Amino acid sequence: MFDQFLIRGDSLENVVCNGKVTGFKFAVRNADYRGCFLSLHNGYYICCDGVEYPREKQKFEINGKAPRSFEELKTCCWEHWDYDDEGYVYVEKEGGLAPGKHVIGLQQSILAQYGYMPWDEEWVKNPPVPGSGAGAGKTETICEFELELQEKSAGVTSEDENCCCGQEKGGKA
Amino acid sequence: MAIKRGVSLYSYQQTQFFKKLDWKGQIREVREGLGTDGIEIINEQLIPHYPFPSDEFIYDFRSYMARYDMTAVTMDVYLDVHQFRDHVMTHREAAEHLKNDIRLAAKMGFKNVRTLVLVPIDVIEMALPTAEKYDVKIGKEIHAPWPIKPGNFVQPKKGMAAGINFRAVDEMIELRERTGSPYIGLVPDFGIFQHSPSEVAVDYVKRHAKKPEAVDWIRENAPQYGHDELIDKVDELFPGHGIPINNIDRMALHKPCCQPEDLKEIIPYIVSIHGKFYNMTEIPGKPGQYEDKCIDYETPMRILRESGFDGYINSEFEGQRDQQDRGIENLVDEVEQVRRHHEMLERLSRG
Repeated sequence: MFDQFLIRGDSLENVVCNGKVTGFKFAVRNADYRGCFLSLHNGYYICCDGVEYPREKQKFEINGKAPRSFEELKTCCWEHWDYDDEGYVYVEKEGGLAPGKHVIGLQQSILAQYGYMPWDEEWVKNPPVPGSGAGAGKTETICEFELELQEKSAGVTSEDENCCCGQEKGGKA
Repeated sequence: MAIKRGVSLYSYQQTQFFKKLDWKGQIREVREGLGTDGIEIINEQLIPHYPFPSDEFIYDFRSYMARYDMTAVTMDVYLDVHQFRDHVMTHREAAEHLKNDIRLAAKMGFKNVRTLVLVPIDVIEMALPTAEKYDVKIGKEIHAPWPIKPGNFVQPKKGMAAGINFRAVDEMIELRERTGSPYIGLVPDFGIFQHSPSEVAVDYVKRHAKKPEAVDWIRENAPQYGHDELIDKVDELFPGHGIPINNIDRMALHKPCCQPEDLKEIIPYIVSIHGKFYNMTEIPGKPGQYEDKCIDYETPMRILRESGFDGYINSEFEGQRDQQDRGIENLVDEVEQVRRHHEMLERLSRG
């Protein structure tokens, strides 16, 4: 679902933290028609210009809170990502992205289910790694996006309120 | 009394996604565009901050429904067994979840909740006292490929189909008979009368398969194989085909999982019906009349009519999903699709 519309086309920006470019971010929508409890959001398969960025390098910003790791989101069992709302995916990458166009392959992993399935216990112990299609919710393909890096945040002149990867302001980038 | 028409606002999910119509605009369309009153919702899709909506939202919803003289028919509720992540939700926890949804449905004025077909029967039984207290019926969905009558179905082991409990309908009827409670019911989905993949689904799967020729092979040969056997055969003949199991399942569909006549036995238990459809096209030679070529509506509608069914059939449009992988210009118009569906429902209700 919403294959071509999961990333907002004009949302790719570098992230600045303590004067350093520490990564990039882009705005995403939920690929499931009902949204999800945040605990079910299991990260993304992200491949930018041929380089994969695993879930451990990702954070997710939603509901007006600072970006959170997917380990932290696992515990947000009663907080909902509403279907209408846009979130931001933060990706750790020292130096960020170069100006110009970038190709991002994306698969969203949401462990939404419709009742009990044979693989339930396995998913508790070993949640699917995003990208395989398992746990990919309603969009099982890897969707590709060509995005232009937005210049407004590409510089290193100002500090971003949402410090990359949830580092506290003043902390080490 | 006659068959009543309504809409599951699920049908307008794309319109909501692109913020063209919010839930108020959708309700207004049902009243003004379709001239009817039945409303079904997806709890998580419509309710802001589910499962903790504000009182303001509840008041606003009830007030808006009253303004347009609408009927809150059914609220669709879910079962995410991984919500807690550190363990698979127990049946008792699942029952608490269902009870919460029932209370929420009652608050919003809904008469029924639709539970998924995979909700275990003991979960439903545990929630039954709450349903009775709040005067909200529990309708279990009968969704393809689940049968009304189990017959000779073989239990698949692969994909979503592995979760199928072929006795789901019988279990609900047994529970109702045993308890004598009219709060136990069923929500058949017209998808059970789908006999072939929709053209929009075929086109989508072909666009994304690494070996699109596998789709033609599946459609031609599926009748000769069992569910799991077909998946193995496709892997063997088209290595690296890149078609997920659920899309193989969709392409393999060659006969409906239920016979329209099967409806007769469950009519007393139906709380509402999902009018599933994928693509309404004009019937050749009949301007202004529409059909979905992959779902038999005519026979089940005749049976419902002849049996005196006077509940709601709520449109459930699902064809948009297969048309969202290209540019914005290729998106389907959900409002128009639902209007066409109601032309058909209205016509077939009259007989």
